[in-house]
Amino acid sequence: MTLAFDELEAPDSAFAGLDPRWKLAALVPAMLATAILQSLLMIGFVFAFSALLLAGARLPRRFVVPRLLALGLFLTPFMLVLPLLEGRDGLLAATRVGGKASAIYFFGLVLTATASFSRTVQAAQGFGMPRLVARVMLLSYRYVYVLADEFIRIRTALRTRGFRNRPNRTSYRVIGSVAGTMIVRGAERGERVAWAMRCRGFDGRCRSLAEFVTRRVDIAFLVTVVAVVGGALAFDFHIRS
Amino acid sequence: MAGQLAIHVNGLSFAYAGGPEVLHDLRFEISAEETVGLIGPNGAGKTTLFLTCCGVLPIATGMVSVAGLDPAIPRDRAQLPTQVGIVFQDSDDQLVNATVLDDVAFGPLNLSLSPDEVRRRVNDALEHVGLKGFEQRVPHHLSGGEKRRVALAGVLAMRPAIVLLDEPTMFLDPRGRRELAEFLNTWPSTKVVATHDLEFVLATCRRVLLLESGRLCADGPAREVLSDASLMDKHGLEVPHSLRK
Repeated sequence: MTLAFDELEAPDSAFAGLDPRWKLAALVPAMLATAILQSLLMIGFVFAFSALLLAGARLPRRFVVPRLLALGLFLTPFMLVLPLLEGRDGLLAATRVGGKASAIYFFGLVLTATASFSRTVQAAQGFGMPRLVARVMLLSYRYVYVLADEFIRIRTALRTRGFRNRPNRTSYRVIGSVAGTMIVRGAERGERVAWAMRCRGFDGRCRSLAEFVTRRVDIAFLVTVVAVVGGALAFDFHIRS
Repeated sequence: MAGQLAIHVNGLSFAYAGGPEVLHDLRFEISAEETVGLIGPNGAGKTTLFLTCCGVLPIATGMVSVAGLDPAIPRDRAQLPTQVGIVFQDSDDQLVNATVLDDVAFGPLNLSLSPDEVRRRVNDALEHVGLKGFEQRVPHHLSGGEKRRVALAGVLAMRPAIVLLDEPTMFLDPRGRRELAEFLNTWPSTKVVATHDLEFVLATCRRVLLLESGRLCADGPAREVLSDASLMDKHGLEVPHSLRK
């Protein structure tokens, strides 16, 4: 499974064409509202809605399945331990946790997998995210893969010289050396990247070509999500009171 | 434009903080639209020379003049990106954005050009390097040669009068190397090519500067310098195959 939030290969999804700003405005509050829900009925309702959105996003199976498995792996301890410890109450609590976590995860997948990471971050600037924070996030996203590649090369070089990671002093020393090497290389690369940016006129101000156009379908998406999740939240409060 | 002085180096000396001098009293001139090869063994100071010309490394005033600008003067240094571009040895140092489009647009945006002008320059630059259609690709999924082309496009889009290329043929396959040579031969800017690829120097440069241990050891026509076996041998280099008898 890759963590890369790259452009998917031709996602046949209506959500891919949505303005990322409206997706952010709809789905981030939806995720927060879902976290507040208490009643099983409303959690189930929002879960079903989020699953519908995920299905509607038409993401490639090779992208979705591994991530669902990862979610299942994460939730399994809760689903097993809570009922064992608390009986019926534990089972209800585990169901709440599982339902909410899944719904939030599905909303997150729809948000992040139907637009490129850079576009989503640029859209976030429209909601007040400081340009500098956005620039740092994008730089981090860009260079985490470069550093990962360097680490893989170091690891391959170690293996070809017979090193095997074992719980002994030699291994710990090697791991420490590798960690130190990565830090030094990262610092050196950071310096060169800064030089390269200055050579292309970077003066500390972050500029972007990103353009966003609002269409009726964007507003319709926002209204739908807010209506469903907002309505569920309102009904949840009503049930609780 | 041709015949005017593009780069004037007058007694350039430089040492990294706490280290020995890596450039010693360099003196040479490069005319506008000239293509010059900068050769020398590892550690000769080629990259350091480039970085001083771009204003990245601090030097004293009066040592270097690039397109009439002194990199040591803050006001001039701020204008350098409009006149001189550098293609770094490692393209990953230069591709700082999440997509090819954003990266090639990075330089022109920093020049405060209008969005329309930026898009025009990006399209032109990508077309020149044969990467039309790569706008939404992410750098970490590009091959070494493609990254090199994007880095070149990023510099092209700024339309500098002077371009410094540090090991431009690294990661390029033979076809890519040939295409780069053809492109450089048609590009009218002043170009300085630092490289170990002496055949590439022969294919693209009329003149060569030979650097070793920070000193200028030779400055002359490319064929003449590169075919001098004793000179090449003395400075840790070899005569290119195409010039050997």
